[in-house]
Amino acid sequence: MKNALAQTVLLACKVQPHHIRLMLMLLAITMFVIGVGAPESGGSIGE
Amino acid sequence: MILLLAVASGLLAGWLRATIRGRRLAAPNLFLLWLLVAAFVLQAIAFQLPTRKLLPDQIASIFLCVSQGMMLIFAMSNRRLPGFWMLIVGLAMNLGAIALNGGFMPISPETIQKLVPNAPPGSWEIGQRFGTGKDIVLPVGKTILWILSDRFLLPEWMPYHVAFSLGDVVISIGAFLTLWSAAGPETPKDK
Repeated sequence: MKNALAQTVLLACKVQPHHIRLMLMLLAITMFVIGVGAPESGGSIGE
Repeated sequence: MILLLAVASGLLAGWLRATIRGRRLAAPNLFLLWLLVAAFVLQAIAFQLPTRKLLPDQIASIFLCVSQGMMLIFAMSNRRLPGFWMLIVGLAMNLGAIALNGGFMPISPETIQKLVPNAPPGSWEIGQRFGTGKDIVLPVGKTILWILSDRFLLPEWMPYHVAFSLGDVVISIGAFLTLWSAAGPETPKDK
């Protein structure tokens, strides 16, 4: 448990600001394409 | 699914491009990100979450148009970024078709019959919203800007079946270009 926690903390320390900005941009683009795009799969019929 | 594939492939292509050039992937600051999140929440309420079954069709169409308007403002405020002009054009194409056809993306009965050939009888009706999604079933002759409607289908051999529009294609290209362009400054090891 302590080992796993220590490893998590070490990993978190390696995250740099540009990693966070990149993740934010990826998240933004994903939200944008899901929201703006309108592909229909037919899965909502019968609801 | 096709749009998410464009995001994934754009990210992979951008990463490969950055690696080959000895750079790292980097992202610019995005303006009005909160507006995008708010728009996404509106759409989740109207079309993704269980609340979608509670909202009347009229309210859902208002949520759709308002949220897409918010996304347009977000995209315009970031238009200086590579790929965003394609995202703006794709969004405008979809929003135009939606706004002129009762607040939902039009889809023809013929396309639906190919998309869900085993749909139970009575599960959809011409002139009505298609399930709890973003589409409305309209005949081609009664669709304004039919060319921009959900009229394309993926090949039958593909396991995933979806109807998409010309705007979705343009958005996919824009998403790919935006991520392809995410190359930052040279890494210190190359100096």
